[in-house]
Amino acid sequence: MFISRRAALLGAAALSLCTPVFAQEASWPSQPQHVYVGFPAGSSPDLLARIVTEPLAEKLGQPFVIENKPGAGGIIGIQQMLNAKDQENSFATTINGPLTTAPRLTPSLGYDVAADIAPVTLIATSPLVLVVAADFTAEDLSGFVEAAGEEPEALAYGSVGQGSGAHLTAELFSDRAGVEMLHIPFTSYAEVTTAIIGHEIDAGFMAPSAAMQYVEAGKLRILGITSQEPFAQAPGVPVMAGQAGLPEDFRAELWNAFIAPADTDPAVIDQLSTDINAILDDETVQQRLLDMGWQAAGGTPEDLEKRIAEDTKVWGSVLDRIDAKD
Amino acid sequence: MSGWDGFLHGLSVAAQPDVLIYCMFGVLLGTFVGVLPGIGAMATISLLLPITYYLSPEAALVMLAGVYYGSQYGGAVASILLRLPGTPQSAVTTLDGYPLAQQGRAGVALFTSMVSSFAGSMIGIFVLIVLSGALTRAAVAFGAAEYAAMMLLGLVAASTVGAKAPAKGLAMVVLGLILGCVGTDVNSGAQRFTFGQTELMDGINLVALAMGLFGVAEVIANIRKAERTGVPPHVALRDLMPSRAELRRIPFPALRGASLGSFFGALPGTGSTISSFLAYAAERRISRRPEQFGKGAIEGIAGPEAANNSAAISAFVPTLALGIPGDPIMALMLGALVIHGVQPGPLMLEARPDMFWGLIASFGIGNLLLLVLNLPLIGIWVSMLRIPFRWLYPAILIFVCLGVYSVRGASFDIFAVALIGVIGYALMLARFNPALLLLGFVLGPLIETNLRRALLIGRGDPMVFLQRPLAAAFIIAAAGLIVMSLVQVIRRKGTPAEPAS
Amino acid sequence: MKRDIPDLAGGLILAAIGLFVTFYSVEQYDIGTMRRMGPGFFPVLLGGTLSVLGLIIALPALGRQGEAIRVAWKECLAVLAAILVFAAGLNSLGLVLATLISVLIATLATPNRRIGWRILLAGIVTTLSVGVFSFGLKMTVPLWPGL
Repeated sequence: MFISRRAALLGAAALSLCTPVFAQEASWPSQPQHVYVGFPAGSSPDLLARIVTEPLAEKLGQPFVIENKPGAGGIIGIQQMLNAKDQENSFATTINGPLTTAPRLTPSLGYDVAADIAPVTLIATSPLVLVVAADFTAEDLSGFVEAAGEEPEALAYGSVGQGSGAHLTAELFSDRAGVEMLHIPFTSYAEVTTAIIGHEIDAGFMAPSAAMQYVEAGKLRILGITSQEPFAQAPGVPVMAGQAGLPEDFRAELWNAFIAPADTDPAVIDQLSTDINAILDDETVQQRLLDMGWQAAGGTPEDLEKRIAEDTKVWGSVLDRIDAKD
Repeated sequence: MSGWDGFLHGLSVAAQPDVLIYCMFGVLLGTFVGVLPGIGAMATISLLLPITYYLSPEAALVMLAGVYYGSQYGGAVASILLRLPGTPQSAVTTLDGYPLAQQGRAGVALFTSMVSSFAGSMIGIFVLIVLSGALTRAAVAFGAAEYAAMMLLGLVAASTVGAKAPAKGLAMVVLGLILGCVGTDVNSGAQRFTFGQTELMDGINLVALAMGLFGVAEVIANIRKAERTGVPPHVALRDLMPSRAELRRIPFPALRGASLGSFFGALPGTGSTISSFLAYAAERRISRRPEQFGKGAIEGIAGPEAANNSAAISAFVPTLALGIPGDPIMALMLGALVIHGVQPGPLMLEARPDMFWGLIASFGIGNLLLLVLNLPLIGIWVSMLRIPFRWLYPAILIFVCLGVYSVRGASFDIFAVALIGVIGYALMLARFNPALLLLGFVLGPLIETNLRRALLIGRGDPMVFLQRPLAAAFIIAAAGLIVMSLVQVIRRKGTPAEPAS
Repeated sequence: MKRDIPDLAGGLILAAIGLFVTFYSVEQYDIGTMRRMGPGFFPVLLGGTLSVLGLIIALPALGRQGEAIRVAWKECLAVLAAILVFAAGLNSLGLVLATLISVLIATLATPNRRIGWRILLAGIVTTLSVGVFSFGLKMTVPLWPGL
């Protein structure tokens, strides 16, 4: 019943917007579009994809159907986009992992990022915050580094899995700060926060949205944030770069991007990139993203390509360090 | 706000007409998809999720929750009539429910399951109101060592389910544990037994496993049998209802099951699976007629059904108060909350009392609706058995395939159902118990991860399991169970030789 | 003399699976230490346990008579073929054709029925599955080939 209402809304949007769209772009989009998301319905990457594709559907006059193909840290979504029969109308949104670290971590990846994927645009980025229990002994980041440096593995930190953004960020941090911490893999931020509150582990890097409620409840404290600029969702949290012996260019961010199969028409990629960037300029969209802990980003396909290359290199060196340790 | 005030406030939220309507819609839909083989609450909720954009957060969550516990009522129907459990919890219900149905007593089994489910939910709600604060603290006090120890207790207790041939039961648990290893190892990120298949990186699909082992295997075995025996005779209304003596066998098992369920359900993880197996094992152990279990014991339905329904209620505590989903369905619920800008966590009880208590109150209303709706339906469900099996099984197969596909849209999982179905049929022929395999499969990854995590956190010292009081208690209980079983075996050996087996 | 074939064969197969799991894990995965168990630790432990249990099941069965078992080969094959065809055809043929064909194959297991009955049943099941899954639950699956 409600889906049909939604379809009707989309249909109305299609009717009112079809004509001008057809005037600019005669051939595309003439059919419903498919956007593959490698995470289940209701997950953060899924909600983000919906926030972006709803206005996109209105703008382009065709429905954008979200195809949730969860699994393997988002890899399955990209595989399914590349295997879709209808290559011209198949796209995907993805987090950074499948484009940067997956080629290293997953032997059976089934795609080559450079050869098979055409970047469209960055959608949003999210910094991570370093969290400890409210009664943790150290007051600030320098105190934390000092405590961690007392002996190897003096402190234990939690992550959301081997090779996850939280794990790699913590290892990057340890490397730059010159300490050695014990890694305990969990499967969700909620598990990590519970383990910190229960004093099973000492710390963890996590998305600000996962931590803020516990900070307000007085159970957790944030020692710093991994972005270069302060983040609106974590007011008053100091930037880590340049502190406690960390270099000025210290930065670790998760991101989410819109991508297409490599043989997509460049004109289509340009149009999508322009339209999505226009959507990301909208303040209500920015606020909706921010509510979920994402900072709207945007940029050209070339920007995204550069970001993929940079991150592949940075995280590659962190992975080298982890491999050397094991 | 104290529990009772909160609950009364919640009732005023849940009784609003629009919330009430979606509650009713949710439980109806839940019953329906629960009865349909293959498709369960998980697929339905993920398909419904986008619709909830257009509802108020209260109505949305109440509806989705209704689908969740409504599907347990429906799932029991499919388990009892067709031996088609959609979840490990209802796999326990097949153990005694299906034999009863085979004896022409499906009505009694259904009645027992519905009444126990209802009682379990009500007790679950009561416990939640009185102890919501304590349950939250208990969940935080549970660390890796406690989890590992608790799962161990669950496994030990459950492996006594196959008491007639202990080695065969244990072998099934171990095989399940091995199948649970398939996929990405949480601790090291290594791909285990995936043989290069990306679809296996997240492990074998639970729904495919349950449907293959039970559903497909049962269909294969039944086609010829059903052609030979024909349809069961018409059952008189009188035989649908349990006798007075049978009625008396419901309350205490239901009460015990509900207590187990309320406690274990509050622990994030697979509390409800453990609690239904524990309830079954407990009933069997204290029963004066343990030999009836597996052949249609009322207690074997009442205990586990009450347990899994009360666990379904208390499972909302960690989900809402800690943001830790106990199972994939709860993870979807979290997603639904986030869509509506509600961040589950320690502040939720204070920040969104409408949401929290409205939901709890809707459980009461929803379960009452389910009972009222389902009791009169028993006659209809039973008469469904009179449809010749040849009309049913092709539909069952297709629905199983589509249900499995709907979980994550992977054809791979349908192929997996075929393979697992053959294995399930072979196990059935050789009289192995697939319910135990399913239990091992669900608990395996949790035991392994938590055991390894506990040792990592304890910097390699195995004493962590004895130094923490709760963990030690579970270990001692598990050891006690093992000793008791050994004593029984030795005693049996001591008595004059049984007829040569 | 008849042996207890189900236990004998079942036990031996389980023992074989256990051995395979053990050796495969030793070969492929790191066993680790008590402090930091590797991904191979559990599978090796479980594989070993399973092979022992398999033998405990199989050996006594040697000296004991068992019931004969009857395998429903025809039913097994028909059901399997129906599922496999459905899995292979769902995305390429679409829901309607995949269901029709697969139900027709599944009905092969029922003897002595006329073709008319089989087609009628296929029609009913197809209507039901399209109605429930495609229209009712809005599952994204193609209805027809090439769409």
